Amino acid sequence: MSGISLFNIARDSLLSHQTAINVTGTNVANVNTAGYTRQTALFQPSKAVIHEGAVQYQSGVYIDDIVRTYDRFLQAQINDNINTLGYSESRKESLERIEIMFNETSGGGLDELLTKFWNAWDDCAVNPAGSAERTAVVSAAESLTYMFNTYAENLASIQQDANGEIADSINSINSIIRDIADINEKIIRVLPGTGGRNDLLDTREQLISDLSEMVDINVVEDENETITVFLANGMPLVENQQISELSVVANEENNSFYDVVFANDTDRVLNDVFNGGRLKGLLEIRDTDVPAYMEKLDTLAATVADEVNSRHQTGYDMYGNVGGDFFTFNITPEATEARYIAVNDDILNDINMIAASETMDGDGNNAATIGSLRDDLVMNGNTTTLNGFYASFVAEIGQDSADMIRSYDYQYSLKSQLTNKREQISGVSIDEEMINLMKYQMGYQAAAKLGSAAEEMSDILMTLVQ
Amino acid sequence: MRVTENMKFNLMMNNMNTVQSRYNELLEKMASQKEINKPSDNPLGMARVFNYRGTREAITQYHSNMEHCQSVIEITESKLTGVNDLLVNAREIAVAQASSGSNNEETRGYAVSSVEELIEEFLSLANATLDNQYLFAGTRTNEDMSEAPFSSVRRDAPEIDDPVASGNNGDYDGTVSVGGTYTGDVNKTYVVKITSDGQSLADSTYVVSSDGGKTWGAEQNDLDDGVPVTIGDGIEVTFTEGTAADLAENDIFTVRAYTEGYYNGNGDCHSVEIGKDASFTYTLSGEEVFTDRGDGEVDILQTLNDLKDALENNDDEGIQNSISALKDASAQINRGIAVCGTRVNRLDIAGNNLTLLDEKITEMIANTEDVDITKLVTEFSMKEIALQATYAFSADIQNMSILNFLT
Repeated sequence: MSGISLFNIARDSLLSHQTAINVTGTNVANVNTAGYTRQTALFQPSKAVIHEGAVQYQSGVYIDDIVRTYDRFLQAQINDNINTLGYSESRKESLERIEIMFNETSGGGLDELLTKFWNAWDDCAVNPAGSAERTAVVSAAESLTYMFNTYAENLASIQQDANGEIADSINSINSIIRDIADINEKIIRVLPGTGGRNDLLDTREQLISDLSEMVDINVVEDENETITVFLANGMPLVENQQISELSVVANEENNSFYDVVFANDTDRVLNDVFNGGRLKGLLEIRDTDVPAYMEKLDTLAATVADEVNSRHQTGYDMYGNVGGDFFTFNITPEATEARYIAVNDDILNDINMIAASETMDGDGNNAATIGSLRDDLVMNGNTTTLNGFYASFVAEIGQDSADMIRSYDYQYSLKSQLTNKREQISGVSIDEEMINLMKYQMGYQAAAKLGSAAEEMSDILMTLVQ
Repeated sequence: MRVTENMKFNLMMNNMNTVQSRYNELLEKMASQKEINKPSDNPLGMARVFNYRGTREAITQYHSNMEHCQSVIEITESKLTGVNDLLVNAREIAVAQASSGSNNEETRGYAVSSVEELIEEFLSLANATLDNQYLFAGTRTNEDMSEAPFSSVRRDAPEIDDPVASGNNGDYDGTVSVGGTYTGDVNKTYVVKITSDGQSLADSTYVVSSDGGKTWGAEQNDLDDGVPVTIGDGIEVTFTEGTAADLAENDIFTVRAYTEGYYNGNGDCHSVEIGKDASFTYTLSGEEVFTDRGDGEVDILQTLNDLKDALENNDDEGIQNSISALKDASAQINRGIAVCGTRVNRLDIAGNNLTLLDEKITEMIANTEDVDITKLVTEFSMKEIALQATYAFSADIQNMSILNFLT
């Protein structure tokens, strides 16, 4: 065995251990980096072979590869969870906002105004000619219609916000897709085995998680570590270095709402393709949840208007005229929606046109009939009162919100557990890295010792020759 | 099992957040003293609280209605008592003047002015108002719209007032007049309402109501220019064709018909709700209590005027008859007073029941909505301790690391 080869062995060992220490240093430096997977240097016995006649020795060591320690299946599970969490989170946020709008736990909302409206009619019934009582009826009615208008507008604004957020989400999805394609391109150019791909792979993992939060995706990896990302229906978003960006177009029925489409295929609407993620949550809020609530509010407003108007029209006002409409809807073509309900202008201009009397003699019995609507079962197929319908409407909102909060809390705790598991496998443990540091330092020292031993041996050889 | 730094810190953060959020919830409940601070806290409970609150508001309104009834009934009763007193006075005068022995034309002449005073007082009592509304006019109570229920001059024959036109259009420029003899035995308000729009007289359709516009008969179309049409109880209405404008839908023509007597009101009463689906009649009509067209048989004003006439004419028999008539009159008034008494009783009972219900419902609201303060404070101090422990533990965790032991 030549002495020179000992130098080579020492040199290889020194360099390898130095690399290993650098890797340890990288791990320790990145202990707080989000999404970082710890790297390990793989020591391999050298391929250099020393022939001694028929005997072959392997000698030396080299770093074969610097590998990331991660569990791909766990990562897929985490992304699934992030996807469901994103869906729950976006719905929870909107439902909580809706709940705040209808929060009448301390009174002052539609329920109370409706009751005050009935009370005003009862007061008018005992003194139908009194202008104070009539004015009170009109002002109670105006507060009521104002509340209806406000609630409807608030619900519509939540829809608008969800709509705007959909467009923003599409932008961030597109930017993520571009980044993934970018990394796919870079990965090919980096030589394997040098660990140079590791930070690219970490970044790409993070991007996939971010994308999963938005939409549900499937990821397929090729043999050269580039990936293809599919939507749930198999249509690709990223195919190696080719991307298919998403875009928004105006919905046919409602021009102010967006439909999600591919930028290069604007006829195919993708709204129903998504099964989870923030985007689906937003679409559901905009297209399912809020319209259902608006319909209930509209039904209530329409029934209030209908019932009051029909009773108003059987009575007589102070001029001996048959009563007209008490409530109108200020929109043409006429739509019986809560947003447009208002008190008839004629009555606002002249309170004597309130038809409080049942007969031509100026009694107040028609006002009493309208006031007794308080107890009449006119909603839900004649099983509930108007106030009762509203109470169960608010309870429904509360229930939906409570359900979503529970679902979100559960998903969130699941995420903590999964993240913990990931940490356990891929996270950096300072204690472990310190032990490794000691280990590699010792190896380095030993290699240095080898080097000086080889030098000593050479010196001895040299003195021999003199 | 590998344990990394991030795992330890994440564990710490999650625990801290959990304890903090529960602590926060308790803070909110302590501040508002309510278990339900938003609908999602307890959706069913919230719906129940809404319904309870609605019931309580209704109860408040019923109480207010009952107060109004109470004041009307009390005043009615006092007026009736006044009428009864003057009837007793009248009877004393009649009795005193009855025997022809101790009385003559002269004494009876003096008694006449006393009876005239009594009649004046009766009119002022019977035409009394409360809050701009006549007490004894049935439903024709609006002081600005109607005349006083009792006039001092008797109507000797049934009368039909000229039609009063009202309605959405009011442009009709033909004429409407009434004729015929009213055959009804009580005062009624007839209403003719046009149901066709813009047709000529012959093609117009209309409906008739005999109770002031509450209920309507079948649709008719037998109008003709200048031809009288009987709308009921002998009342004839004659339309003539307009030149420029036709009859419009909901044009209304009101015809008031009066039977003989002194009374100008009608026989309906006011009622108001004092409970759920509980309508309560709280007025007495002058027709019922002071005339012979109700259940009673005595026309009070007539009886008093008869006595006055008998005294003026020195009519022995007339004065004798007055005595028993006045006795019947008193009985009729007393029946009215008794009705007032029963009504007050009913209001008392209903009021008490509503108050009890109100208390019960307040209790139920409190049970659903209010916090249990003892339980809350206990939980709160427990959570405070838990939070302190979490903080102490978190501060300590960074001390445990191999870095402390490496030189």
